[in-house]
Amino acid sequence: MGLAALPDPLYLLELRSTRLAVAELLLLAVAGGVLGAYVVLRRLAFYTHAVGTATFPGVVLAEAASFSPRLAALAVAGAYATGVERAGRSGRDPGGAATGLMLVLALATGTILASDVFQSGAGVDRLLFGSAIALSDADVAVAAAAAVIALASALLLGRAWSAVAFDPEGAPALGVPGRRADLALLLVVGATAVAALPAVGSLLVTSLFVVPAAVARLLTRSVPGLVAASVGVAAAQGLLGLYGALWLDVPPGPAIAVLGAAVYVLTAATTALAPAGSLRGVAA
Amino acid sequence: MSAALAVEGLSAGYGGDPVLTGVSFAAEAGSTVCVLGPNGGGKTTLFRALLGQLPHTEGDIRLQGHPAHVAQAAHARLDFPVSALDVALMGSLAGRWWLPARRSDRERARAAVERVGLAGLEHTPYGALSGGQRQRVLIARALVQDAQVLLLDEPLAGVDPASAETITALFADLRAEGRTLLVSSHDVEGARAFDSVLCLNRGQVAFGPPAEVLDARVLEATYGHELIVIPAGEGGRPVRAVAVQHHEH
Repeated sequence: MGLAALPDPLYLLELRSTRLAVAELLLLAVAGGVLGAYVVLRRLAFYTHAVGTATFPGVVLAEAASFSPRLAALAVAGAYATGVERAGRSGRDPGGAATGLMLVLALATGTILASDVFQSGAGVDRLLFGSAIALSDADVAVAAAAAVIALASALLLGRAWSAVAFDPEGAPALGVPGRRADLALLLVVGATAVAALPAVGSLLVTSLFVVPAAVARLLTRSVPGLVAASVGVAAAQGLLGLYGALWLDVPPGPAIAVLGAAVYVLTAATTALAPAGSLRGVAA
Repeated sequence: MSAALAVEGLSAGYGGDPVLTGVSFAAEAGSTVCVLGPNGGGKTTLFRALLGQLPHTEGDIRLQGHPAHVAQAAHARLDFPVSALDVALMGSLAGRWWLPARRSDRERARAAVERVGLAGLEHTPYGALSGGQRQRVLIARALVQDAQVLLLDEPLAGVDPASAETITALFADLRAEGRTLLVSSHDVEGARAFDSVLCLNRGQVAFGPPAEVLDARVLEATYGHELIVIPAGEGGRPVRAVAVQHHEH
């Protein structure tokens, strides 16, 4: 298989479908980048992966019942976030074991249901891995809403989320209700992750909500810096992944995820080899 | 002087049988209380009950405002991307944790960091500070809360001499301002510098001025085999005692 010639980057803006994809990915970069920073700080990466996956059976059922898949996913994400928070009340990290259990249950249930609902595997692939070049205006509008929710939440609750993540045991003595702050983060991440489903699917939500922040975490030494860098990495990763997908004629969702993973590995290797703290500006 | 803190017949626990019973003491505004006891003796339980984090099954607690708590520095994450100033600023979350910080909050945080002797290190990452400096940052965070009663969990454990000196001087200043300090400690000799000593061993063993409380009988009832009691010498002190610490970390 020979590689096609590199397309003109402006090609991304020529077609309506790619313009929508660019807009969607930039908006999701804001939502995923901002919230991803707090996800990484609170060590909720596993939960974030799981909440996307948890929507899978809900969306399959919605397809079968001709119900709004978006609302179904939102309901499942909300229920999942609440369940994880309740299950994890006794631990320092909100519900690691419960997250794993519900992840397996959701994936297995979704797969069994999908085998009855969909006639071909293409429908299942779309739910699991998204289709960034088959988006609608409504999808972009939902992504815009997710970006606004993420920014507003971080502006209002970011300090509390940081305090809980920094010192989970000490936060209540500061007047921060740790459980309520955690639940708010879980719910906001769950709700905004739903916005990413059309573009990257249930299984690849972490490519926009965790991986960029994980990369940024290796390079920054303040929370505002982490948030800004996370948004920047998510935007670059999204656009380059989309461009690469068009060039290589592969699905955009997996291309974005693979690019993100490669960037993370390269950044981690570079920071490990660099003199201690130099990439973060920390005195060695 | 009025009582900043009064505890009467307190029993508290974690859902099952109470792990701390029969605690009654009072602390005047502008006084210092050293809370002595072995690991598992109830010091943390008492603090959590005073902070309202544990429902007490019996008794009554009266406090001047909500107390501030200074945990041991080891509890916070060293890899977290925050500076000394960021940590101090967390003290302004009480009552408005859902809102962004104000300019006045930042000014108070900066003043608190300077007060604990860390001027010039405001922007140093928390994890890059020494253990003693990190302890001082957590004290700065409590100062931003502007509480009348401060609960400090072994604030001098493992800190460098310079930090210990700064912290001790700060305690004297806070006391002079009329604030009440409850300091948990394993340092039996150091407890003699406090106004009062509260000895706990799953219940209250004794409370009162150190000269009256710290005798061999009370210390043995408090620490049991975890204490080495050194007989009185000619220097004037009735007994000297060293608590044997069994920290897990």
